[in-house]
Amino acid sequence: MKLRHSIPIILVVLYGVVPLLLQHNNYIMSILVASLTIAGIALAWSLLGNLGGMVSFGHAAFFGVGSYTSAILTMKMGVPVFPAILFGGIGAAIASIAVLPALRLAGPYFALAILAYANIFRILATEFTSLTGGAGGLLGIPLFPELFGFNFGSKLGSYLIITSIVLIFAVIYRMIRTSYHGFALLAMIEGEDSTRVVGVNSTFLKAMMLFLSAFMTGIIGAFNAHYINFLEPDYAFSGVWTMIPIVAAIFGGYRTLTGPIIGAIVVYTVDQLIFKALIPSGHQIILGALLTLMILFAPDGLIPLFSKKLSWARRVKENRSPQTGHIC
Amino acid sequence: MLTLNNITVQFGGLIALKGVTFTIRDEEVLGLVGPNGAGKTTLFNVISGLTRPTGGEAIFNKINILNSPMHKRARVGIGRTFQIPQPLQELTVRQNLQVAQRFGTGKVNQDKIEEILNFLHLEDKADRDAVSSLSLSELKALEVGKALATEPQLLLLDEVLAGLETASKRAFMKTLSELNSKYRISILIIEHDIETISNMCPRVCVLNYGQIIADGTPKEVFSDPEVIKSYTGGAHD
Amino acid sequence: MSALILQSLYSGLLTGGYYALIALGLALVFSTVKIINLAHGEMVLLAAYMAYVMENSFATNPVVAMPLALVIASLIAVIIYFLISRIKKHRELNSLILTYGIGIILTNAILITWSADIHSTSNEAMQKPITIGPFSSMTSELIFLGVSMLMVAALWWWLTRSWYGRAVRAVSSNRDAAKLMGINPQNTELVAFIVAGILASFAGVALYCTGVIQPSLGTALTTKAFIITVLAGIGSIPGVLIGSVLIGVAESLTVTLYSSAIQELTGMVLFLLVLFVLPNGLFGQTRRRG
Repeated sequence: MKLRHSIPIILVVLYGVVPLLLQHNNYIMSILVASLTIAGIALAWSLLGNLGGMVSFGHAAFFGVGSYTSAILTMKMGVPVFPAILFGGIGAAIASIAVLPALRLAGPYFALAILAYANIFRILATEFTSLTGGAGGLLGIPLFPELFGFNFGSKLGSYLIITSIVLIFAVIYRMIRTSYHGFALLAMIEGEDSTRVVGVNSTFLKAMMLFLSAFMTGIIGAFNAHYINFLEPDYAFSGVWTMIPIVAAIFGGYRTLTGPIIGAIVVYTVDQLIFKALIPSGHQIILGALLTLMILFAPDGLIPLFSKKLSWARRVKENRSPQTGHIC
Repeated sequence: MLTLNNITVQFGGLIALKGVTFTIRDEEVLGLVGPNGAGKTTLFNVISGLTRPTGGEAIFNKINILNSPMHKRARVGIGRTFQIPQPLQELTVRQNLQVAQRFGTGKVNQDKIEEILNFLHLEDKADRDAVSSLSLSELKALEVGKALATEPQLLLLDEVLAGLETASKRAFMKTLSELNSKYRISILIIEHDIETISNMCPRVCVLNYGQIIADGTPKEVFSDPEVIKSYTGGAHD
Repeated sequence: MSALILQSLYSGLLTGGYYALIALGLALVFSTVKIINLAHGEMVLLAAYMAYVMENSFATNPVVAMPLALVIASLIAVIIYFLISRIKKHRELNSLILTYGIGIILTNAILITWSADIHSTSNEAMQKPITIGPFSSMTSELIFLGVSMLMVAALWWWLTRSWYGRAVRAVSSNRDAAKLMGINPQNTELVAFIVAGILASFAGVALYCTGVIQPSLGTALTTKAFIITVLAGIGSIPGVLIGSVLIGVAESLTVTLYSSAIQELTGMVLFLLVLFVLPNGLFGQTRRRG
């Protein structure tokens, strides 16, 4: 994969070039951090879709649970921020246990069962005022601390943290995808029985993917809580945290590893810089239109579409004949 | 190795299997025949775990397997092929075998995979996509390969030869006849072709309307008037 | 105390009545086309806004908006049908995402056109309280309960007596067998969508006359409709009515006995309960396992 060759370049750009050039431009840094936050969720969502075979319309549930878990742990129990973020992920994974029974349901039921959970958690967060600050929310959530002399609470620090998180997620995704478990997960999508009959515990694997996706989303939510320093139920569990990652993943191609990440950066940035300027209230209409068009014309995403066209053009140019032996 | 006791399967008003009882021993090759709809595939489904019987018990090497889920049965040594091949999607032939081996035995042994590929004459297609680049007989071979990769002690072959034209059939039959001696496993094979069964199986069971009506050598069984009636006369709707 | 409960039950009944209007369209499409139209709530909401426009801009009784609402809702239904029929692979899941996208478009279109303000009918005749014995409600609630009953009866008649209605039922229960009988599934699906649009338009006007509307309501409406559909079980029209009343009453009791904040929770919890405990819903006919 050509990805392998570009890894050093990517790392240099992410950890060297961007900080050097942009660290004093607060506005752009904010957009980057936010788009990477979306990228993290998009990746987790794609993981569940690709390897778990389940489309979810309620990832905001895990995002919110992660946010609140981490915030409450740091504010009410004095847990340091970084461990609290981890617990945020764990909290979201635990919350996903409630979704487990939905695994055996057909696609649409699962997608909407998760949506119901998102709403339930939002209402619970609003009601448990003593714990969650209720509708008023939590203010003054601790920032990222200073470590090794570097203030991670700064904009640059937040950027470095979220970038690292997303990269780690990408690595985990890739590791699973190329493992035997990943193979089994891929095969399971078309029919679980064919895998069960060779010894694959398909139910267990699906559950693991659910936990992992929830865990990842929870960590992103926790990160966001300490980045924004403020939480309220309608924000933490907002449908936006479900919607934009979906658009991003579909746009970038949710079957690939880089698709959701690039999709998120592009979609979020364009939405904030261009769409929002065009239609300040209701600019998400363009995202909806984008999603609709993509499902109709490029369900595998626009980026794979481009690369397919590029490689086809290349092959025609080199006069190579199509691969033989395929039964079409 | 496998003992079935009074297995009954009822779907609503339809009785698919009724009081099926028999035993298959280590390294035995047993043919299972019967008219269409007699319940042969249902029996396989019960043994492999796709269908829960409404009554009866199944003991495999002293384990009551009816309590085990499908994947556990595969791991303790029951391998099964499907009548319509179900290759693992999005994977190559080799990956199909690797997944079967990894989850059926707990680890991957590349040498054994090569051996299976060679035995089934799939080496050339090993790294091609399983779903799109295989002919029907190769898909059937892959079915057997996946089951073999799980290192079974009992192999259930469900009409592996159906749909193949004569040349492929003969070649495949030769492969199948080596299975028992090479891998030292018990084989329970469903086939329609009486000649094939008679050549391959020293023992045959006949299923009709969900019940076993004969159990013996091919000669005994195919000259049994009950059996002949079930194939020719028996009122089938 | 018990008078309170009785009033609560009564209110729940009325609410359930027009919940049924909202849910029927979704249930019909789901059982015929096997697809959940995630933009259904937005169709209903759009119809509601038509009623608002009529009342606000032309100073008429909102019910006058019916024809306009009918046209708009049916038009959207037909567009959604055509878009869905263009999907080739992974029909079920891709249609989910497609209608999800359309829902977003509609919600934001409403937001752009009419802003986020909350609206509700100011028509006096609609708002006038009406008392029957110990029970009181808004006139509109009673009217639309009646409309709902009528629509359910009409739908029932149509499904059992008319050719297209029976075709819809045939395709719902066995698509291939229906084809063998000479029924064109595509046409039947189109019909199902149009009928859903018609139902949605009634539901929208009812919504405007009995409650408040705002752009964000679309998703909530779809969710509620889906909850009721699942509660009822696939392929059961009376089930939808009973399910709607059940939800309406449960919510009403929750508001009376606990607080209005967790009103939404009741529906969700009922939904999840049914999903996991009664996979076929209360009256469903088909198995739902994936």
